Amino acid sequence: MVILQSCGQDTHIRTYRIAKPKPPDTAPRDEAPETNSAGFSWKKPESWIPSSGSSMRLASFDIPYSEGSGDLSVIQLGGTGGGIEANVNRWRRQLNLEPQSLSKIEKEMIEKRGGLGVYNIIRIINEEMDSAFLCAILTAGNQTLFVKLSANPPGIREIEADFILFCSSLKISI
Amino acid sequence: MLVVLGTLAQKDMGLFAAQNRYFSAWITWFWYVPMPGGRLTLIIILINLSFFFFNKSIWKIKKLGIVILHLGGILLFVGGGLTAIFSSEGNMVIEEGAQSNHVEDYHLMELAVINTSAAGFDEFTIFDQPLLKRNQLLRHANLNFEIEILNYLENCEPARRTSPAGIQYKGMLKNFMLNELKPEKEDNWNRPGLIYQINNTGTNADGMYGIFLGQPIAQTISINDKDFTIILRRQRTYLPFSIKLLDFKKILHPGTDIPKSFSSEINLIENGAVRKILIQMNEPLRHKGYTFFQSSFIESPDGETTVLAAVKNYGRLFPYISSIIMSIGLLFHLSQKLPDLFKKSREKIGS
Repeated sequence: MVILQSCGQDTHIRTYRIAKPKPPDTAPRDEAPETNSAGFSWKKPESWIPSSGSSMRLASFDIPYSEGSGDLSVIQLGGTGGGIEANVNRWRRQLNLEPQSLSKIEKEMIEKRGGLGVYNIIRIINEEMDSAFLCAILTAGNQTLFVKLSANPPGIREIEADFILFCSSLKISI
Repeated sequence: MLVVLGTLAQKDMGLFAAQNRYFSAWITWFWYVPMPGGRLTLIIILINLSFFFFNKSIWKIKKLGIVILHLGGILLFVGGGLTAIFSSEGNMVIEEGAQSNHVEDYHLMELAVINTSAAGFDEFTIFDQPLLKRNQLLRHANLNFEIEILNYLENCEPARRTSPAGIQYKGMLKNFMLNELKPEKEDNWNRPGLIYQINNTGTNADGMYGIFLGQPIAQTISINDKDFTIILRRQRTYLPFSIKLLDFKKILHPGTDIPKSFSSEINLIENGAVRKILIQMNEPLRHKGYTFFQSSFIESPDGETTVLAAVKNYGRLFPYISSIIMSIGLLFHLSQKLPDLFKKSREKIGS
């Protein structure tokens, strides 16, 4: 049995078209806060584009910046959602960084105040991987919200101000 | 000898590399001595087996069992050949609530150049793994530029530059280098990378670029009013249907973190029709030549994600069919020999 296989370049090139994801609603968004079924509301900058994400996400956005696009997710978990140390170290592992002790993590956290009261943000950056997370952990009654922005380090610095505004705008809608 | 050497080599070089070097190769090298690899060896055995049928003395009714047995053996080899050449393996990773219509290969990479300029669609031009090698020129009518591969790194890591990069470096390579690493024992652990050059566009997009598997921010370039995104990713095979993960369930052994079973409740979506199916351990989904096994899962506050192993194997049924044929041949041969055996036995008892 002899099977002849073509080795030309064309046999290894494929082309296809895929419809673009549904265009975002371009109506002004920052006039009235958005509310979701879980009972939270927020304000977001106009440039943030709602994206489809896992059903676990309360909200999901593509965030354009000068060198690309970041991904922001909002997750709601019951109780402490595993706690600060476990979650921060899980994010650190995702960026190939060594875990840190709780005391060291707390030193790096920045305290902010918003619609859900005092919350913390933390920057997790791996320059070698050119990847970074900007994360916020917010307590809302007996639940915890995790807001995670994924982009490259310059992107994180560029988006940080909007990120804080967004996190501070999060509140329980009545 | 090949089986022993290949099996021993797996310990040091990993399963995938040993399989490629000893079993999937036509020729394998022992130091400087070329030897037939697994494929060539099996073809020689198959030819040898086939010549059995040119023997005129076998075409008798009393040899029919042996003929059927050889036919079964040949079918087994043909099935193996089909599996070796046409089968594909990969996985489908789906977050809860999301859906997917493609399988990602475990080992092969592809360079996807996506023209994002059109309003309603993205146009993908995909260069497969065999083209991703040093000095290869990649061109296609869809692209208004050429890509010259300067180096393909089987395993690499990005490292920040300690001194300013030259003006020829673009994108990620302005701030980072791709350092080549020794390939890992398990192929899946490697992070392949590519260094390539874009030439003669007449724009400032000309230059040297780098890209690696899993790069968080994709490379984008604009050439003559066309926007392109370039991604190195695992080779994708698009399916004529989609799978949506409705719910992933994991049951632990009581009092432990050891999973007792895990399952994925999915919607199989095809031509607008939706069918709800449960995939669980030892109960795969078989559809359109693909078999989807519950392989693994990822669990995090970001959500639950199922990992389905997807296998397409045209030779899947051959071992069963050839085993049945060989069994029939053996039984036929035995039934023909039984009267002689009984006769000899009776003669032995009589004497």
